[in-house]
Amino acid sequence: MKWRVPWRFWRLKTKLLFLTLFTSTLGIALMCAAVITIENQDYKKHLESELHVISSILAEQSTAALLFNDDKQLSSIISSLSRIDMIRQACVYDIDGELRSAMDATNHALCPYINSPIDVGFVRDHYSLLMPVKMDGDTLGYFYLTAHLDDLKEHIATFVIVAVSVALAILVTLVFVALWLQRMVSKPIQSLSRAAARISRNQDYTVRVPILDRDELGLLGESFNEMIGTIEQQNQRILRSKDELEDKVAERTADLRLANRELEAFSHSISHDLRSPLRAIDGFGQALEEDCKDQLDDMGRVYIDRIRTASVRMGGLIDGLLVLAQVSRKPMEVQTLDLSAMLNDIAQELRDIHPDSTTKVSIQSGLRVTGDSRILRVGFQNLLENAWKYSSKEDAPEIRVYASTNSDGTEVAIQDNGVGFDMRHHEKLFVAFNRLHSPMEFVGTGLGLATVYRIVHRHQGSIRAHSAVGQGATFFVTLPATVKANSDL
Amino acid sequence: MLVIIWLSPAASAVRDESEIKAAYLYNFTRFVAWDKSSDEVNSLLVCTLDAPVIRDALVPLIKGQSQGGRPMQLKGGRLSQMASCHVLFIGQSNHRNLPAVLKFAGAHQILTVSDIANFADLGGIIGLIKSGNVIRFEINLKAAQASGLRINSRLLDLSVRVLQ
Repeated sequence: MKWRVPWRFWRLKTKLLFLTLFTSTLGIALMCAAVITIENQDYKKHLESELHVISSILAEQSTAALLFNDDKQLSSIISSLSRIDMIRQACVYDIDGELRSAMDATNHALCPYINSPIDVGFVRDHYSLLMPVKMDGDTLGYFYLTAHLDDLKEHIATFVIVAVSVALAILVTLVFVALWLQRMVSKPIQSLSRAAARISRNQDYTVRVPILDRDELGLLGESFNEMIGTIEQQNQRILRSKDELEDKVAERTADLRLANRELEAFSHSISHDLRSPLRAIDGFGQALEEDCKDQLDDMGRVYIDRIRTASVRMGGLIDGLLVLAQVSRKPMEVQTLDLSAMLNDIAQELRDIHPDSTTKVSIQSGLRVTGDSRILRVGFQNLLENAWKYSSKEDAPEIRVYASTNSDGTEVAIQDNGVGFDMRHHEKLFVAFNRLHSPMEFVGTGLGLATVYRIVHRHQGSIRAHSAVGQGATFFVTLPATVKANSDL
Repeated sequence: MLVIIWLSPAASAVRDESEIKAAYLYNFTRFVAWDKSSDEVNSLLVCTLDAPVIRDALVPLIKGQSQGGRPMQLKGGRLSQMASCHVLFIGQSNHRNLPAVLKFAGAHQILTVSDIANFADLGGIIGLIKSGNVIRFEINLKAAQASGLRINSRLLDLSVRVLQ
């Protein structure tokens, strides 16, 4: 249904052609109608005046015959009208309205009874008139004439045929002119729109439109070409700077990677290197304690005890640093894993280490997360150990692990009822070597949460904590549903 | 176009012969032109000679009428009084001295009309003749021209015979 297509979807050249032809056709049709109407009226007026003149002459000629009641003469006068083809009947009446003579004597029915009102003028397919026959101001009788309008019809028909033919000829010419015009106007626009479409489809900024004329459309095409030229240049500049930027980023990344690797290697080697002197300190401390116990007084034994305690702490620190370096360096093997089982394992280990503990651990079953199982295990082990540690002094220590899952990932909460911490210091929580509790209260290296932070971030996750002093603490770990394995900076 | 024409009710009773003749006489004046200068009175004089019946019939016809701006008047009497007449109806009784009457009329540019048989042949200008029930007329154009009268060709068309 072509005609159902709304106007705004019509093609430009169809619109132009339609508008041109519609306007022209309307104009020509109106013109023809006007000319035909005027011609019809003119012809009628002409016909009317002609018949009036004829009637006047005949009436004048009939005066004497009417006066002297000479019907024969009247007939001979009136019969001259029969030579005029369009006159159907002509009748002469005397002053009393009595029919005296008729042109067509065989058809008296066409002579109306004039003593009552009759229709005159253009009535249906004929024209009739009634005029008094006068002489010196006296009315002597009446002259009636009726004519058919075949000539008029024929004339108008011919006129209509000519007008329609001329109109058709004009329209045909107009179609050609309109086609030429629309080609002149819409062709550049079409090529412009095609060029624009190609540019937006292929991002091909080398496209240029051909300039045919020096008119407004030509200027438009030129401006379009200039604009595309500018865009092309800018695009090249952007591409160039993007390349540069990428090069720079790659360079920096390489630098950073190198620095990181060096740093990790450094911390790894320093941990190992520190371990042997530490072992010597501890070993000789132990030898001193065992072999020279008797030569030392109480003060000396206390010092040796302190030396040995400090070396144990330092050993813990070195272990922590090694773990931190490890979780940062180790390549990740991402998979979906059973978090509930992992947490239960860790809890069981804790119970084994602290057989006297009354800590109650409850873990939501069926938790599944995505990530590297060994690295994540280090993280959750740290969190559970912390919860265990800081709640160990409570009367009924309790640890709860639960989770909620949404479209972004899984948020695992590790909640304890321990000493908690002041939220004012929470930003220090995940920084290495920062501790919120003194070693007197709780032993620790200050590396546990820093390691957890590093692990969660390697999994593109996030961690936050909520607590108040004496109210227990809750750590929320959010792990995304999908993890990219290449985050190894 | 609708034109309403009211015509006077037909009062066409059978008119007798003299009325028709009087009407003819009256109507003839419409088709004849006189060179005669209106000397005596500025009017068109219709005269009858020994024709009282025609005269009586003319009275209602002529009363108050005028022809070419001249009021019409009826006049009777003897021939010698008829010099200023424009039209003269000659009664049958003048059959005998017709040449004298016509001579007088010719000298005074008078249109002579009569129902005397062969009036036109005898030198009169318009002779009324009866053919069947219809009254017709014949015109002696020669006599009219001799009298200096000009007769409208329409009238000549209607005449049964034109002598020239």
